[in-house]
Amino acid sequence: MTAQVLAPKERKVAQRRIALTGNHAVALAVKMCRPEVIAAYPITPQTPVVERLAEYVNNGELDAEYIPVESEHSAMSAVIGASAMGARTFTETASQGLGHMYENLPIAVGLRLPIVMGMAVRTYSAPINVWGDYSDVMSMRELGWIIYLTQTAQEAFDTVIQAYRVAEDSRVHLPVVVAYDGFWTSHVLQPLEVPEDEEEVMRFAPITRSWVKLDVDRPVSIGAVGTPEWYWEIRWQAVEALRGSIKVIEEVDEEFGKVFGRSYGLAVPYRLENAELAIVTYGSIFGLVKKAVDRLRAEGVRAGALRLRVIRPWPRDLLRKLLGHVDKVVVIDRAINHGGPLYGPMAVELEATLARPVYNVLATVGMRAIDTDMIYEGALKAYRGQWVPDEVYTIGLRGGP
Amino acid sequence: MRIETVWLGRGGQGIVTATYIIANAAILDGFYAMANPEFGAERRGAPVKAFLTISKEPFDDQEPVKTPDVVVVFDDKLIEPMRFAIDAAKPGGYVIVNTAKKPEEVKRLVGRNDVYLVVLDAIDIARRHVKLDVPNGPLAGAFAKVMGFPRLESIRQAFENQLGKAVEENFAATKEAYETAVVIPPERVDPTAKPRGIISTTSAFLTGPYELVGWAEVNKAGAVYPGTSLPYTTGGWRIDKPVIDHSKCIMCRKCWLYCPDDAVIEAWKEIEGPRGRKIRMKAIEFDYNYCKGCGICADVCPTGAIQMVREI
Repeated sequence: MTAQVLAPKERKVAQRRIALTGNHAVALAVKMCRPEVIAAYPITPQTPVVERLAEYVNNGELDAEYIPVESEHSAMSAVIGASAMGARTFTETASQGLGHMYENLPIAVGLRLPIVMGMAVRTYSAPINVWGDYSDVMSMRELGWIIYLTQTAQEAFDTVIQAYRVAEDSRVHLPVVVAYDGFWTSHVLQPLEVPEDEEEVMRFAPITRSWVKLDVDRPVSIGAVGTPEWYWEIRWQAVEALRGSIKVIEEVDEEFGKVFGRSYGLAVPYRLENAELAIVTYGSIFGLVKKAVDRLRAEGVRAGALRLRVIRPWPRDLLRKLLGHVDKVVVIDRAINHGGPLYGPMAVELEATLARPVYNVLATVGMRAIDTDMIYEGALKAYRGQWVPDEVYTIGLRGGP
Repeated sequence: MRIETVWLGRGGQGIVTATYIIANAAILDGFYAMANPEFGAERRGAPVKAFLTISKEPFDDQEPVKTPDVVVVFDDKLIEPMRFAIDAAKPGGYVIVNTAKKPEEVKRLVGRNDVYLVVLDAIDIARRHVKLDVPNGPLAGAFAKVMGFPRLESIRQAFENQLGKAVEENFAATKEAYETAVVIPPERVDPTAKPRGIISTTSAFLTGPYELVGWAEVNKAGAVYPGTSLPYTTGGWRIDKPVIDHSKCIMCRKCWLYCPDDAVIEAWKEIEGPRGRKIRMKAIEFDYNYCKGCGICADVCPTGAIQMVREI
């Protein structure tokens, strides 16, 4: 577990501290990774990423083809085409935009293209709601993409760089999505450290071009028909690649820590030692969760917390190790698993992982505001037995359970 | 009673429709039936396989037919490539073949003496009644004749339900086949014998000349590296083949220009001159490995040198 910031003496790369919103941090990381083709359609709350990247290309800071597409469907189509030509690519979307590009998402997986996509998460309409919850990225879980959920502008910045290195690794060759809270990260100005020398980023994540690509010197057809005799075998390679990518994700994260001084792990534990109650969640609200844990600890409740960071591939063994000893696991989900066995997507997956009931709690849906007190009170209800496992509870829903 | 059948043909011959018609008619007659086609590349001429199961009792299993009671072959050129299916027919079962060949010759081609062999020229019947190369109506008639069901009247109703047009023409073709199909009984049937083969679930013929390998050996991302389509001979799709009378040919090469498959070729030909001298000259020939028998060459020939001749 390397969730903590490493000791400064191990840091190799000179960095400077600047202030950026999450969106602009992502745009900066993308610029430092030198994508050759960017195709994106603006949608709230990621619009500033797209705008900033367009500026970088326009003012010559980034030498990339910037394709101002007419829709997200075209954005994903364009980066699939460019990636199939061997280019490093980037796109970004959220919510309805993701829905619009949906039919192309599994194609990127089947073609084994190392596309990196940012996502300032936003809930789905209707009613129209441009604000952040994790409904969009959670609907990508079955597709074969690698999925990172990040907490801060710094982590989103770092994870974009890691994502290119992971995606283009010849053991992986899969598309990656880096998600962060719409508004609560995307539009929150925060301090972050960035390398003084941008070359350091390219040294860490050079373009490998090792994936199967269209090449006039070595002609190949990709995306040809896969009849029932072939389809499953071809897709199974992507299944195995995603399973195996967990090692690569860990390796890259560790090496990133050595070079840049920050690494995060597959999941981020907080005060889980000897914990009898753990609050599991993801995204920007982890800071509040940690405060609630501190308060519970101060009052004698052995509480801890865990932040899910990589959810595809699912780090089953690590989660069992971190949460195996914890009696009460409270999962605060930020998207609704409509009509599911539990109403939170991560609650379902944790219950399957731990093979025992968990507390299923929904919060921040449609970006309903939340504070430390609300999390603290919810945790206390679980601790005192006012809440029971396998029932659906809400934090912040008027009149809700 | 449960009759399992497999129908083998090519895209465009109406194989799926034929099974739908029989199933439709059987259901009208009070049977339970399922017509279960296997689709591949949706392409005229590509081999197609369809299963049709008929039972007196209700059933809901869509079991692939492994050892059929009846094998229907829409095209005698499919006998060889689909030998596995003919071998899989149950002893005492039926093999129905559409061909212009003589029944004895078909018997030799099929090579089984323990099944009922049913021979009919479904193309000829279809051309006369329906004016199309769709042998499905006549084959349905032959099926009804040897199986004793479904009733002809139900087949007529099935055409009405399924097609809703050209009902009388199709039904006339069905009726003629019903009356004229030749049935050669088996020489001997060992009721305890097992079929010689089996239609396995992976014996699909859509795959092409590949070796079936495990997932780890398959090309990454399903990439296809340069190869050739030369092994994919399409000559087997033909019903008629072009034949040229060189004495009428003026070497205008219109046939060459219009052939959509590069199947018209100029070949050196040795002929005997007027005083017995051997002369080498260029002449129009056809590459029968790839000619699909579309007949465009015969249509555009200004001197009528090219004629289309029945091949199956």
